[in-house]
Amino acid sequence: MTLGEASTSLLGSTALLFEAPGETDLPTQQRIWVLAAEAETWPEVREAVPGINNLMIAFRRPPAKLDDILERLRSCWATVAPMPLHGRVIELPVTYGGPDGPHLPDVVAHTRLSIDDIVAIHSEPLYPVYALGSHPGYCYLGGMDPRIATPRRKVPVLSIPGGSVSIGGSQTGVSASAGPSGWNTIGRTSACFFDPVRDPPALLRPGDAIRFRVSEVIR
Amino acid sequence: MPIAEAEQIAAWLAGTDIEFLELRSADGCLTLRRQGNDVAISREGAPAPQEAAREITVTAPSVGVFLHRHPLRDAPLVRPGDTVPAGQILGLLCIGPLLLPVAAPRAGTVARMWAAHEEVVGFGSPLVELLATEGTGDHGH
Amino acid sequence: MIEILSETPLATVQDLGRFGLLNQGVGTSGAMDPLALAAGNLLLGNEADAAAIEVQVFPFAVRFHEPCAFAVTGADCAARLQDQPVLPWWAGQAAAGDSLTLRRPEGGTWRGSRAYVCVAGGFAVPPVLGSRSTQLRGAFGGHEGRALRQGDRLAAGAPGTGNRPTGFGLVPPAFAMPLQREGCTAVRVLPAAEYERFTKAAHEALWSAEWKITPHSDRYGYRLAGPSLRPTAPIELRSHGIVPGVIQIPHGGQPIVQMRDAQPSGGYPKIGTVIEADLWRLGQAPIGSRIRFVACTWDEAVAAFEETERWAARVRRLAALHAERGT
Repeated sequence: MTLGEASTSLLGSTALLFEAPGETDLPTQQRIWVLAAEAETWPEVREAVPGINNLMIAFRRPPAKLDDILERLRSCWATVAPMPLHGRVIELPVTYGGPDGPHLPDVVAHTRLSIDDIVAIHSEPLYPVYALGSHPGYCYLGGMDPRIATPRRKVPVLSIPGGSVSIGGSQTGVSASAGPSGWNTIGRTSACFFDPVRDPPALLRPGDAIRFRVSEVIR
Repeated sequence: MPIAEAEQIAAWLAGTDIEFLELRSADGCLTLRRQGNDVAISREGAPAPQEAAREITVTAPSVGVFLHRHPLRDAPLVRPGDTVPAGQILGLLCIGPLLLPVAAPRAGTVARMWAAHEEVVGFGSPLVELLATEGTGDHGH
Repeated sequence: MIEILSETPLATVQDLGRFGLLNQGVGTSGAMDPLALAAGNLLLGNEADAAAIEVQVFPFAVRFHEPCAFAVTGADCAARLQDQPVLPWWAGQAAAGDSLTLRRPEGGTWRGSRAYVCVAGGFAVPPVLGSRSTQLRGAFGGHEGRALRQGDRLAAGAPGTGNRPTGFGLVPPAFAMPLQREGCTAVRVLPAAEYERFTKAAHEALWSAEWKITPHSDRYGYRLAGPSLRPTAPIELRSHGIVPGVIQIPHGGQPIVQMRDAQPSGGYPKIGTVIEADLWRLGQAPIGSRIRFVACTWDEAVAAFEETERWAARVRRLAALHAERGT
């Protein structure tokens, strides 16, 4: 199925996946957020889940015919304008290196940059939250400087603590709770990203931005 | 039971896939058996007094499919010759998705299975013949 | 109160799942065999999505500290209440002090791997974000957000005796709605986004091979062993939402089927997705057993979904009728 340049595909009878074409960029993601908000008002949609320049539409129950919802996606995508960033910035103090950043030396080895350079480059940008996923409260961030990109680890770590700041390929992120990870952990922050009794439970939402503030560097 | 009523039941039975229906009452036993598109009605005299009899015919509480074994099991719930306490499940009556127990009303020995495994049975159809253990009262569940 | 008597790694409180929070990173959790959980609840007159204990390591034992109606569904684990056998997919009545034990499922005409212990009124753990299912990664929901341990005590929502008749059961859906191919459990699959990017040989293998469920299979996902499935060219994807049933093909070429505790996003190529109506079949397939994938269409997937709905509606209606007659 092709919608102009975008494509849709099935995730069984549970959901369908809408994928925007082209290179990953923020304006496309801003349109995905608007499409998500629109789709969530459709009666057969249980939930619209933004990914990275894509959107999963989960059904309340499989609709008898798909043509109708595909047509709505098509016409909606053709008209949506990028959602303005709402300007909420969350600053996260980070302790880089040391026991809480055990893979910082691996990033040094791969990038041939110094610890200070890596910390400076990592803490410089404003990282927009593209989407939430992976585990409760986890954010997919855009905007990492490609100079500190480091491949995922060959052997995943069985459990890294919540609050771990890590680099995986060209992305950076903060784990919201303890769990396995294939990324390189370079530091730690102490924010609580998810609290089931808070409304909404996740600290961050798409359109927010994160800035990592250097709290300490352990060399 | 007036014969008109029996004929009405026979007409109703003809529209089902039930092969055999036995109706017992104080004044006898009425058997309706399907033969092709017709239903044969036969009447027997009053059964022998039950008080003295050790043979107990366990009958179907409803229309359904009689099962000797649970669908998940290879082995039957009981076999002829088995000694069973009162309340023991002898077979199952399958009604759509439901499985209802066919339990021994008294302690005894399983004499024979009247209905075959997976046989469609009607209300009152004989399912299992039980030989009650002497001296045991009725302490069915 | 119901007390857990056994060491029970991996037994958790589950209901039919937590929905509407994938965009907060919260996966659905929920019973691996939702039909068994729903059936156990309907036998007891509960709502279909009341909370039950999902047991996947045996033997398992609980003690009832007060009278309570219960049902055991799912895998046939030769359940016993004290020394009395309890048939599979059956509702019973426990007296105060009775213990219920489940043995390791074996033999029989259908071998499952997970059993459900349901109680009248469901287990009264507090709902968190709309569900009583255990969210292991988030450490919330279920009983204290974790797997059950020996000595844990859980309350039933409606303990007591004689509220409703017990002592009857259900025909398991493995018989009511069987699906087998060449002696193997089969599950129906809708092709997913990257299906066409796999080789012709991969397509043929997907539909014709027997797939063995390896020991690295759990509530998060099933790792299958069989022929290697290769794309025609390397595939790099952006992270996107996924659901239980998605069949991912990592670099090694051996499929991973996402299950109920799966994370809600992923990036491995997807060759297909097991349809919702057949996920219970996979949830019950034991480690070491083999399954087959059967291609299906959207219309067939919708029909299968409706068939399980009709089955549940029929169970609800007939169980209620039977209860009214009070037999």
